[in-house]
Amino acid sequence: MRLDNDDLRQKLAAEYVLGTMSARARRRFATLLRQVPALRRAVAEWESALMPLADALPELAPPARVWNAIESRINGTRPEAGGHRGFWHNLAFWRLSSIASAAAALALVVFIALPGRQAPDEIPGRMVVVMNDLETKQPAMTATWEHGRQGERIMRLRVMGHAEMAPGTAWEMWMLPGGGQNPVSLGLITTHETQTMVIPAALAARLDGAEGLAMSVEPAGGSRTGLPTGPVLYAGKALKT
Amino acid sequence: MDADRLSDLLARCALRDQRAFAELYRNSSGKLFAVAVRITRRRDWAEEVLQESYVSIWNHASGYAPSKSAPMTWMTAIVRNRALDLLRRPREVELDEEHEELIASIPDETPGPEQLLALARDAGALAECLKQLTGEQQKSISLAFFQGLSHGELAHQMQKPLGTVKAWVRRGLERLKNCLEPRGA
Repeated sequence: MRLDNDDLRQKLAAEYVLGTMSARARRRFATLLRQVPALRRAVAEWESALMPLADALPELAPPARVWNAIESRINGTRPEAGGHRGFWHNLAFWRLSSIASAAAALALVVFIALPGRQAPDEIPGRMVVVMNDLETKQPAMTATWEHGRQGERIMRLRVMGHAEMAPGTAWEMWMLPGGGQNPVSLGLITTHETQTMVIPAALAARLDGAEGLAMSVEPAGGSRTGLPTGPVLYAGKALKT
Repeated sequence: MDADRLSDLLARCALRDQRAFAELYRNSSGKLFAVAVRITRRRDWAEEVLQESYVSIWNHASGYAPSKSAPMTWMTAIVRNRALDLLRRPREVELDEEHEELIASIPDETPGPEQLLALARDAGALAECLKQLTGEQQKSISLAFFQGLSHGELAHQMQKPLGTVKAWVRRGLERLKNCLEPRGA
């Protein structure tokens, strides 16, 4: 199929989005869509153009069993009413990433143990977070922190691989307190392989008890809402070493 | 619910916040279920589509980029694609009495595709551009969008040759595109 032709791309994208393609054409097109970025752009344009048509449909409440089924699928288990168990414990995400995380955590422990300027017993309850790339499920960043002199926390970050930040965007670190509480911003970071953040003493206790960390892509200067607004690239659960 | 709020909820879903996900569901499932019922014409299939779509929304929330599409656009496209894939997959069962009965269970008083097109008043520029289409172009596009009809099904429903119907759809879409993008190439 000749896809270097913009008119053809437009025509196919329009028919795909409208839904008039046959089963075979849809399948073939869906495969091409994964391979050709220009085709994805054309589809996104047509979706933005045509989807607002659906605004005209009167709402129709789905039966409660649909939500129950969704909830049990994303949970793996049925939620406990009023229970205080952190919802982070149930997520398939953590299970998927746990093997890779365990391996990376081990490597990280070795990594941070080697240069040790301080004896390990001076760093009580050091925390480690291995953050996975949510797309590839592979470890992409690690964070460790220890006590500073004034009660602050010194967080050392290590970015793995060759991460790239899109122009005009920023990377923002978030602490995930768990228990259904909103993420708390820890500030912006760079793509440098190693970097250090100082977390103020006021946040120290919450950080030490946090369920995990996440990094999201935000507009330059960081999120303006106080909550993550862009895609989350990396996230991971806190482990005590 | 406004688009900014829905975008925030999706961002929190990406952080695995189930409360945000529940709120997102409460505020979008009515519209999305209506889309699924229209296309599949069977409530049991529409429920399946809705379930699959929300699990997909939860799993791919980190891939949602507010700069690229409105949250309802992103979610509606997921639901329509699921519904169309279901509709187009080879049927184990032909449409029979049982299915006809299920179809009949969908309330009749809901507006038809053409009325819906007329109702698409919130669509802004789109609504204006739709007015520039011929009657046949409007009808074929609205049947395809709301009922998920393929070219072949459109030809059958409109009792016109396949080539004619295809041309209505193609020219209608071209005209829409030109109207929505006046500076278009």
